[in-house]
Amino acid sequence: MLRTTLAGLRLHKSRYVTTVLAILLGVMFISGTMVFADTLKASYEESVMGSATGVDAIATPAEPEYVEGEDPAEAVAFDEEQLERVRDLPEVASADGMLEGRAVLLDAEGRAVGFMPPAAVSLGDASRFSAKEGRLPEADDEIALATSTASSTGFEVGDTVTMLDADQEKRDFTLTGLVNFGVDPNFSMAGATVLTENVVREIAAPQGYSEIDVVAAEGTDDETVAKAVEEELGATAEVATGTEFGEELAEGVGAQTEVLRIALLLFGVIAMFVAAIVIYNTFAILIAQRQRELALLRCVGAKRGQVFRSVLTESFVVGMVSSILGVLAGIGIGMAGARFAGPLMGTDVTASVVIGPGAVLSGLLLGTLMTVFSALVPAMRATRVAPLAALRTSATASGLEKGTGWVRVVFGLLLFAVSAGLIGLTRMTGPDPAGLFIVTGAALIAFVGVVVLGPLLVRGIVRLVGVPLRRVGVPSMLAVDNSVRNPRRAATAMIALTVGATLITGYSVVSASLESTLTKTLDEQFPVDYQISPQFNPDELTVGQEETETTEEGAEEGVVGTEEGLEGPVEGTEEGAVEGTEGAVEDEEPLAELATIPSRVREDLEKESTVSKVFGLRSDSAEVAEEGVGGPLESMPVSTYVGADMGTDLTADMVEGELSDLEPGRVVLSEGYAGGMGVGDTLTLVTPEGDLELEIAAIAEDMQSLFGATVSEEDFVRAFPERTQDDTLMIRGAEGADSAELREAVYSAVDDHPTLQVDSVAEMKNQFSQMMDIAFYTIAAMLGLAIIIAVFGISNTMALSVLERTRESALLRALGLARGQLRRMLSIEAVLLCLIGAGIGIALGVVFGWAAAAAVLPNMVFAAPAGQIAVFIAVSVLAGLLAAVLPARRAAGTSITGALASE
Amino acid sequence: MSTPTTQSPSPVQAPPVVVARGLTKTYDTGGSQVHALAGVDVEFHRGAFTAIMGPSGSGKSTLMHCLAGLDVPTSGTVHLGRTQITGMRDGELTLLRRDRIGFIFQSFNLLPMLTAEQNILLPSQIAKRKVDQARFDHIIDVVGLRQRLDHLPAKLSGGQQQRVAVARALLNAPEVVYADEPTGNLDSRSGAEVLAFLQNSARELQQTIVMVTHDPVAASYADRVVFLRDGSLVDEVLSPTAEVVSDHLLKLEA
Repeated sequence: MLRTTLAGLRLHKSRYVTTVLAILLGVMFISGTMVFADTLKASYEESVMGSATGVDAIATPAEPEYVEGEDPAEAVAFDEEQLERVRDLPEVASADGMLEGRAVLLDAEGRAVGFMPPAAVSLGDASRFSAKEGRLPEADDEIALATSTASSTGFEVGDTVTMLDADQEKRDFTLTGLVNFGVDPNFSMAGATVLTENVVREIAAPQGYSEIDVVAAEGTDDETVAKAVEEELGATAEVATGTEFGEELAEGVGAQTEVLRIALLLFGVIAMFVAAIVIYNTFAILIAQRQRELALLRCVGAKRGQVFRSVLTESFVVGMVSSILGVLAGIGIGMAGARFAGPLMGTDVTASVVIGPGAVLSGLLLGTLMTVFSALVPAMRATRVAPLAALRTSATASGLEKGTGWVRVVFGLLLFAVSAGLIGLTRMTGPDPAGLFIVTGAALIAFVGVVVLGPLLVRGIVRLVGVPLRRVGVPSMLAVDNSVRNPRRAATAMIALTVGATLITGYSVVSASLESTLTKTLDEQFPVDYQISPQFNPDELTVGQEETETTEEGAEEGVVGTEEGLEGPVEGTEEGAVEGTEGAVEDEEPLAELATIPSRVREDLEKESTVSKVFGLRSDSAEVAEEGVGGPLESMPVSTYVGADMGTDLTADMVEGELSDLEPGRVVLSEGYAGGMGVGDTLTLVTPEGDLELEIAAIAEDMQSLFGATVSEEDFVRAFPERTQDDTLMIRGAEGADSAELREAVYSAVDDHPTLQVDSVAEMKNQFSQMMDIAFYTIAAMLGLAIIIAVFGISNTMALSVLERTRESALLRALGLARGQLRRMLSIEAVLLCLIGAGIGIALGVVFGWAAAAAVLPNMVFAAPAGQIAVFIAVSVLAGLLAAVLPARRAAGTSITGALASE
Repeated sequence: MSTPTTQSPSPVQAPPVVVARGLTKTYDTGGSQVHALAGVDVEFHRGAFTAIMGPSGSGKSTLMHCLAGLDVPTSGTVHLGRTQITGMRDGELTLLRRDRIGFIFQSFNLLPMLTAEQNILLPSQIAKRKVDQARFDHIIDVVGLRQRLDHLPAKLSGGQQQRVAVARALLNAPEVVYADEPTGNLDSRSGAEVLAFLQNSARELQQTIVMVTHDPVAASYADRVVFLRDGSLVDEVLSPTAEVVSDHLLKLEA
């Protein structure tokens, strides 16, 4: 039996070419991902380990224990005395501290770099960091930059770099080298500058040594020296050996590559799913075509079980061979990916390629098992072939031809109804993260519905589009008829394409809707052209450690990041200012000046003819007297818009009341902070200047322009008399003003204040849509693989049908159908299939993309990206043409007499 | 043709429509050469119904395929009317088949997804040719398919299917109709119907018909039978009867 199976495989191997390719591509992606992620991880690990093992012990300030109900305390940096004590230990050969503060770095244009100033550190001789290019600064007029900072600013070794000292005075340095700080979150966020210890003390207001790196004395191992240091520094420090420290860092970056691995594997799984559909269809068709062969086997005495096993063995061999090829291809792709994509991920891949057993085994197992699994149903069907079928003359594909009974129709429609019901549910409950899961579930149910109704859909759609097509000519008429001869076969082939089309369209609709919603919100609620805000004072803030983790995630995070960027100046500065002010009160540090915008800037801007409106935002926070109001901290952010005409210059969607009703003595609350209070109720703010009773004028919806309590300027001044400057300035250009002149005006107003950040709303929108585009293209490229596999499937279905219709093609040729016409007939059939598959996918994608966007976005502005959809349609036509190339060649190339003679 | 003619019914004396001269067809089968046709000279006259007979492997199908432009002979020429079809490129041959030749095959004559009427009209549609409605009606009535025009082939009996094929071949009044064992798959009654119809077409419509068969009864409907053995034309009978044809065949196979 095995011999028969293998002989059959050898005989028909050309029929498996596209199937093998489909499996190969899926496996390739999965193995490639594993190799890529393993290599990337090893390379990250090598880089952090390499830097950490350069020293023998590393001491970092211990994190103070978190006390419930209190603000988390900052770790206290080491001081000079502690460093000296470490140096004096007999086990220590040398030790150096890393002095760390922050200082403003200016770019070539003279504007401050970054949302917040980069870290300014000094590196001693004993340090886990060294210069990657050039050398570390030795003199007080020398500087080194983190590689990331250098690449974002464009500075090169030898350039002159300017920084601001504590008094905002400029100081020039010569760039002597670049330091790779790797993925250390302390430095990857805002970047870093390396200066001599003197200079750090002068300009960066360091709080002390953030780290002490120790080299052990001759003959002392790293464990001993770490222990000695730990005993010396006591509870204030956490001490690790270089190796331990490196391992800890490596664990952190390892998690990062895991996220990337999982994201990529997700696309791999989608590709494999599509490949499974293709395999299923191939085997189903092959079994149908080989009915007589199988029946003959039964006639000569093969048992059902033997037939079943024979088909499964066949699928096993096909799956195994393709998986082996796929793993090999995957290793190649993984190597290429690590080489070319590694630098994009922020690391030069230094480690050699890692081909772990996981990469090989996962590919082999997944590919083989999936192939065998997909062949199960066709194999079952093969056992049902009666021995008598061998004697029948017509032996083609009757097994596939089962009608679409009413049970199928009812079941399919039921699934659609359930899906629609679920979406209705999400519409009723309003925006809610759980809605996203419900929408996903609904999409899956609808997809099953499409699978169930597939044959019917194909038949119906073909009948519809067939009407005009039939008129065009004989090839298209025949194509229309051919495409519905095996509706099940056609439906399965097309559904493989539907998967990819649905996902891409869905994502593009979500992305376009997100963009249009945010744009609209921005346009309506902040009709401004520029925003000016101060650079964050980072030492007063806990900085979110966001990192770009994966292409997809990174892009999405980027999206979110920008979203925050767009609205951020309002909220962010609020928080910044709040803490800034508190800091000013408690620590007596002159931070208030830094955190706000000098009134000169505003005055200058108001004089400009190109500027029609300037208004400022001032924010602070106060406690609320009423129970349960003000969120979990019972602290209410309080803001005022100075000089803004509420309801005109600034709008928001309101739950209750009107924004224009805001006047002295009244307050507008955002819904989340209202705590159940409504218009007419009284809110009491507890401020150092006494209680302030305000009548609620309106409640605004959350996630919009307003946040917390918004009061009139008079009330704000009463509550916070020391707040005389704006946190954020918003500038609207005059009607018809030249955009270049407006830009010039805005930048000249902040010329004397290099640390002020100018954001152009137009540029932000631009950056935002660029980021959305990058995310879209990345995802589309990943899903492209699933589409390529689906096209292989369609090509394979066509090829097998052509094989089945050899005599028909010969007859047509004998009757005078030219080769070109025969080819055209098959191309039209394939294009028709692809268009139906893509069309259904696009329809599903638009519906569920809309549902998904509506489930998470309040006031969603639906946008269907017509351009992108047009591209999909063009791509599916192209895919159909490509899919038909080989089958059509074969059909047109067969000799007429040979085909007519063969039974 | 060197064979002496004793009887001379008019169709055989009409001008030849198809003329083959020195046709050879050689196949290479792994070193040894097989001569399917070893120099055949034959002509077919307007309005004549000719049967080509011979034992299995005598080359009768190959001869028909070469005459019809489905296959390319190794050497020799074939003329259809004034046109030399040997040496034509595939595209020209396709047009020639489409416009000037009709085909009836033993089985698999019809496209399964088209109705009987669509099958009959297919060549005209491929050629974008206007259908002569009167001729269409006449042929449909003669073959008795009026009631079955919108049936798919699967719903037709073997004889009906073959009559559809005959109607298709005759509809455009091609210069010659080639029939390859047209009754091979039919029971004797259906076969007789189809053959009688072919005979009538030759006589009444002046339709040139060349039929390959191995059935002496089928051959007896023809005006003329030519015998083939080992790729050569060896004998010829005019106004044949089934007995005469059987005798000739037996002699050939002996």
